[in-house]
Amino acid sequence: MNMQITMFILNGITQAALLFILGSGLTLAFGLMRVVNLSHGAFYLLGGYIGYSVFQYTQNWWLALLSGAISIALVGFLFERFMLVRVRNSNLGQTLLTIALSMIIADICLAVWGGTALKIKVPVSLNFPVKLFGVTYPSFRYFLILISIIIGVALYLILYKTKIGAGVRAGVDDRETVDALGINIRAIYSLVFVLSCFLVGIAGVLGATYLNLSPGADTQILTYALVIVIVGGMGSLSGAIVSSLILGQIISFSRGYLPEYSMFLIFIPMVIVLAIRPQGLFGRKL
Amino acid sequence: MKAQTVRKPILFILLATVLVSMPFYASPYTITTFIRIFYFGLLSLSVGMLIGQLGVVSMAQTAFFAMGAYVLGLIGFERGFPSPWADIIGIVFTLVAAFLFGMISMRTRDMVFMMITLAFGQVLWSLGTQNTSLLHGWLGIVGIRPHTIFGIDFNIQRNFYWASLLIFIICLALYWILIHTPFGLALNGVRDNPRRMASLGYPVYWLKVVFFVISAFFASLGGIMMFYNTGIISPSAMHMSRTSWILLCVILGGANYFWGPVIGTTIAVWFEVLVSQITMRYNTIIGIVFVLVVLFSPSGILGIANSWWKRKNRKSKNQINTTQNV
Repeated sequence: MNMQITMFILNGITQAALLFILGSGLTLAFGLMRVVNLSHGAFYLLGGYIGYSVFQYTQNWWLALLSGAISIALVGFLFERFMLVRVRNSNLGQTLLTIALSMIIADICLAVWGGTALKIKVPVSLNFPVKLFGVTYPSFRYFLILISIIIGVALYLILYKTKIGAGVRAGVDDRETVDALGINIRAIYSLVFVLSCFLVGIAGVLGATYLNLSPGADTQILTYALVIVIVGGMGSLSGAIVSSLILGQIISFSRGYLPEYSMFLIFIPMVIVLAIRPQGLFGRKL
Repeated sequence: MKAQTVRKPILFILLATVLVSMPFYASPYTITTFIRIFYFGLLSLSVGMLIGQLGVVSMAQTAFFAMGAYVLGLIGFERGFPSPWADIIGIVFTLVAAFLFGMISMRTRDMVFMMITLAFGQVLWSLGTQNTSLLHGWLGIVGIRPHTIFGIDFNIQRNFYWASLLIFIICLALYWILIHTPFGLALNGVRDNPRRMASLGYPVYWLKVVFFVISAFFASLGGIMMFYNTGIISPSAMHMSRTSWILLCVILGGANYFWGPVIGTTIAVWFEVLVSQITMRYNTIIGIVFVLVVLFSPSGILGIANSWWKRKNRKSKNQINTTQNV
């Protein structure tokens, strides 16, 4: 019994690691641009599928990870450059464009990769049993947690130790002043948007390896990412960490004990946080 | 101006005649499509009224659309609760849910509101797909048929058509009356300047919550109509693609105009019928249309028509058009 609980906690942390990679990019982009990228879930799906195909051809997992991330970053770059800028003055217009994009991407994924669930088989070199805390757990999941920590540290360093990061943080607080100070806020927008796409591409390939890919995963993943942003507070990195840890545990335990309500239960932290702090745990006043 | 005041009632009478007499000349397929337009029209009305009158985009309306039908199916169809009461309980349940959720979500604004409503809709969708013991998962609740009321059998398509047309027109009339009451005018004030309205003593927050509940009423009524018409309520009724599609209907017609959602839905439903006959990649086409509408006509078809009308009038008579955009 005790072993089972340890297992659930470990699963929850693995889930949280994936959720953090998903949510951190979205929360940064949203905090800065005030635009919810509702194609985040579709990007996850597309990244995972591209990674899957690359893996099928080359059998190289690292290449799959890289190609998934880079291709989504490219898609995001083109989308931002040629679509979003055209309705820059309207937050609603930009959000509607991301909805339209998500419809198109999900439909193309269905046409190309079909309706059955696909899964990247992890190479044995990355996936061997590890005995830790009294339970045997696949090493790939520890590896996923490690990647997530590396990404978190990298984001922290970029945000708090570089000039670009200072521009991003200032932009979250007050866009107009940053623009007036002569910092190119447009370039920062593009950069953060592409970064969030890059991260969701990584998450897609990791998710394709850890879970699996099928049509419908896009909206589910989008829901998770939105709840992370809402609970953690928009634009907050620490908020994304805390909320993905909470969400990961809820998902893991409810899958074990209440599988018919596992998605419904993630609604609870959202309602509690919104009732007490509408701006999210670490968010600034709206 | 004068020509327009004469022309408008004539246009309405003509339209009403065409719609009411439809079962006598149109094919059953056309009539089915129009029934679709009526219930999705109620759904898009519930989305459009929130955008037009309150300036917020709710992506939870499809969840309310399905919720009433699910409750009706659970207690009325599966457990044999008598007819009018099961329907009423379905709607009341939705209204209570909308009230509670409105109290939470209306504490936020703009994009955050949109995210929260989307998350709410998605969570309910997942509940529908995951819960097999009560809601039967992906299958949903299947098999309900319309009743016979006062000796009129609503299983006959033309009777069902007239009933849905009547409900649809009554709802439109109710909405028209609502937005011309002091309550409706106060809502416009809230949309344009919430702070000023608050300082004038209006309970801004409660106005918004109440209007949210009213919008959920139209949505759940539409959902129940769909349930009776198709005989099935399943999670796909509240899938995100449905939410996006209904938002497209509203934007396509013109969210800020009274007739916008109705016109948008009419076009979108017929478009859906035509495109799905030609290609399997229906969602891609819809997505592309969505992009084009957002990029080139954000105020919708009625917005384009309105500005074209104004320009024409200015050119010919150099006279200011005072068409009221409600």
